[in-house]
Amino acid sequence: MKKLTKLLALGLLMLTALGALSGCGSETDQKAETPGAASDTLRFGCFSYSDVLDPGQMINSGWAVSRYGVGECLFRFDDEMNAIPWLADSYTVSDDHKTWTIHMRDGVKFSNGNAVTAQAVVDEFQRIYDMEEENSVKPSKFIDMVSMTADNEAGTVTIVTNTAYPDLTKVLSYPSFVILDVNAGTDFATQPVGTGPYAITSFDGKISCILVRNENYWNGEVPYANLQIAFINDSTTKALSLQNGDVDMVENITTTNDLAKLKEDDKYYVTSTPGMRCGFAYINQAGVLGNDELREAVLMALDNTTMTEITLGGLYTEGFSVLPSSLDYNYAQLTNPFAYDLDAAVQKLDAAGIVDTDGDGVREIDGQNIELNYITYDNRGLSHYAEAIQLQLGEIGIPVKVASSDADTEWNLMVAGQYDLCSSNWTTVGTGDPTEFLANWYSKSAANYCNYANAEFDTLYEQMLIELDENVRKDLITKMQQILIDDAAVLVHGYYNSNMCSIKANVTGAEIGTADYYWITNQMRPAGTNN
Amino acid sequence: MVKIAAFIKANKQFTFFSLLAAAVIAVAWLAPLLPIQDPYAAVMRDSLQAPSAEHWFGTDKLGRDVFSRVIFGARTSLSATLTLVFCIFLLGSVLGVLAGYFGKLVDTVIMRVADMMISFPGMILAIAIAGILGASITNAVIAITMVSWTKYARLSRSLVLKIRHKDYVAAATVTGSRTLYILRRYMLPNALPTLVITAATDIGGMMLELAGLSFLGFGALAPTPEWGLMLNEGRSCLENAPWMMIFPGLAIFLVVVIFNLLGDSLRDVLDPRTDN
Repeated sequence: MKKLTKLLALGLLMLTALGALSGCGSETDQKAETPGAASDTLRFGCFSYSDVLDPGQMINSGWAVSRYGVGECLFRFDDEMNAIPWLADSYTVSDDHKTWTIHMRDGVKFSNGNAVTAQAVVDEFQRIYDMEEENSVKPSKFIDMVSMTADNEAGTVTIVTNTAYPDLTKVLSYPSFVILDVNAGTDFATQPVGTGPYAITSFDGKISCILVRNENYWNGEVPYANLQIAFINDSTTKALSLQNGDVDMVENITTTNDLAKLKEDDKYYVTSTPGMRCGFAYINQAGVLGNDELREAVLMALDNTTMTEITLGGLYTEGFSVLPSSLDYNYAQLTNPFAYDLDAAVQKLDAAGIVDTDGDGVREIDGQNIELNYITYDNRGLSHYAEAIQLQLGEIGIPVKVASSDADTEWNLMVAGQYDLCSSNWTTVGTGDPTEFLANWYSKSAANYCNYANAEFDTLYEQMLIELDENVRKDLITKMQQILIDDAAVLVHGYYNSNMCSIKANVTGAEIGTADYYWITNQMRPAGTNN
Repeated sequence: MVKIAAFIKANKQFTFFSLLAAAVIAVAWLAPLLPIQDPYAAVMRDSLQAPSAEHWFGTDKLGRDVFSRVIFGARTSLSATLTLVFCIFLLGSVLGVLAGYFGKLVDTVIMRVADMMISFPGMILAIAIAGILGASITNAVIAITMVSWTKYARLSRSLVLKIRHKDYVAAATVTGSRTLYILRRYMLPNALPTLVITAATDIGGMMLELAGLSFLGFGALAPTPEWGLMLNEGRSCLENAPWMMIFPGLAIFLVVVIFNLLGDSLRDVLDPRTDN
């Protein structure tokens, strides 16, 4: 009887085990169907920022088309964020900087074989301008166009603008102006046809994008016959997929521990570069942080070096100005009067009468306990900064309430002014120039959600808007940065380092550039093959 | 004294788990007096240190002592769980007894509301409620209370219905006993033992639900030491700092086991069918 029970139990156990294992079966089968690490296929894991690929529909769509190696612009950014010719090979500009004549590169074809003529460029631009009414992409905000004419004979596109642009080629390098074939006959949302090294065969923004080599590519050999992009939104999952060998290459591991682990392991090639993003907390000056002494003391109480190096594990490069130190905006000339000095911060608070009078451990302003409302979201380590800041300020009697939400909610709270500190990681020179970014502190700008106002800053900003000389502009921008620093207007963490991680044995040339617009290039090739 | 000794002898299991539960509660209660580090004190340079003589359970990402956070976590987790169980016990029992006793419209309204609540998946509804109210441990308790009271209501209702039409209840009514007296004297005592056992066995489950909500970001907020939240914080460091998940996880496991077994043994003690 006892034996029978034992046998029965064993049988049941085996059945359970079999049942559990049966779940794994189909997955193994699926894996077998997908091509393995064959050297003619590049498998890339990345975050999906966009469910549609039509650059006229969403800003992120243009970015995606450019990042996946599908579309290219007339110009592109180099690592110093200068615009260099890409599908165009030269340009001329009138003295008033309002008429731009761009010469197209000869022999460039779309992936379907159609020639990229001057007219094709004008048609695509016209298409996205026509779409702007019902979509969030507003190309006219980028280029205030009067006319746009094509001369196929001469191979030139002439763009006439209402306002003078210091350098229109930088704006034309922005991925919303990616050149796609309007006559391709495919759906722009899922299968745009461009001039990049790879062409899309199928796309599902939540799962994957399958691409093949562009046989008509104009700029050298395309090493892979196939490109499979798997959309993996969680950073840890992305890192695990790479370690597991499911993908050959992933972009931007943003979890510090995973990144550190990949860096330590000799199997992986991890490249990172200080990008054009600044990680900072926007300071709402309409709230309690409108108090100058409090704001300055807050900045002085934060050990930014330790936060950046230890807590964030080098995900950012430390800095104190809103424009990245790697860009050409005279970071070295700037000085920071509010560098980390805890004792001085406490003295400053005490001297300003911001003290704890009722012994509850919390400092008060005008008899009211201070509590800072810090809104954040889980992106590129921003919430870690928020928590570290919460701890440090708590120690000097300034409690901080950290409210973590999704990106949209955070944005809405910021717009509504319901915050004291707002975690941000913004592109500083999206169109190769910080004009748009600096508007966040220009008091007459609709984008100023922090209620900061400084007449000198405004004057310099207005001068910059009409200044066409690059060197003078740079001087103005340097001065504006210093004003923001002196006013303790922004709590700057540092500059986000973009990264690209790949399996050394599978792929070489997996580099990442300063501009966030280029992931897949034809420089990525199977390991062991020569360039 | 003799009686107590006899009770202990007769209910060894119950005594044992009661002592363990008392020990857990004592640790939570006395945490601030224990010679351990401040759970909020961060030395950022000592981030993610492995367990050592100085930090028994290692340190977390911000260089805080995980051991003291686990101990202090007991305060947050236990007090929230006990409050939660008390709330659902009270709300559910009162509504259930009222529904059972008065019947008709009262019964229909209360029980249909209960039916509505249980027609949703509990955890999902709790997430929705916590999401609407905003993340905080109080709101998490409210959210889970709103989805969990129905069990007690149905249970107490059925227990009351069993005796509602007994002769002695009718006799009490005829002799002019007030409704409140009848409810207190006859209805509640009849339902109470079963409800208490249910509440005791529920402590473990409720603790898991609260930890679940905190893990998902709908419960306790940083920097509060709370086990579910600590698990979430440790998630991204699972590979290189597993102690950030192991120890809070172990704490949840132990406390849930202790309270589940305590609930079981309490049933043995209170169950009239058990022959002592």
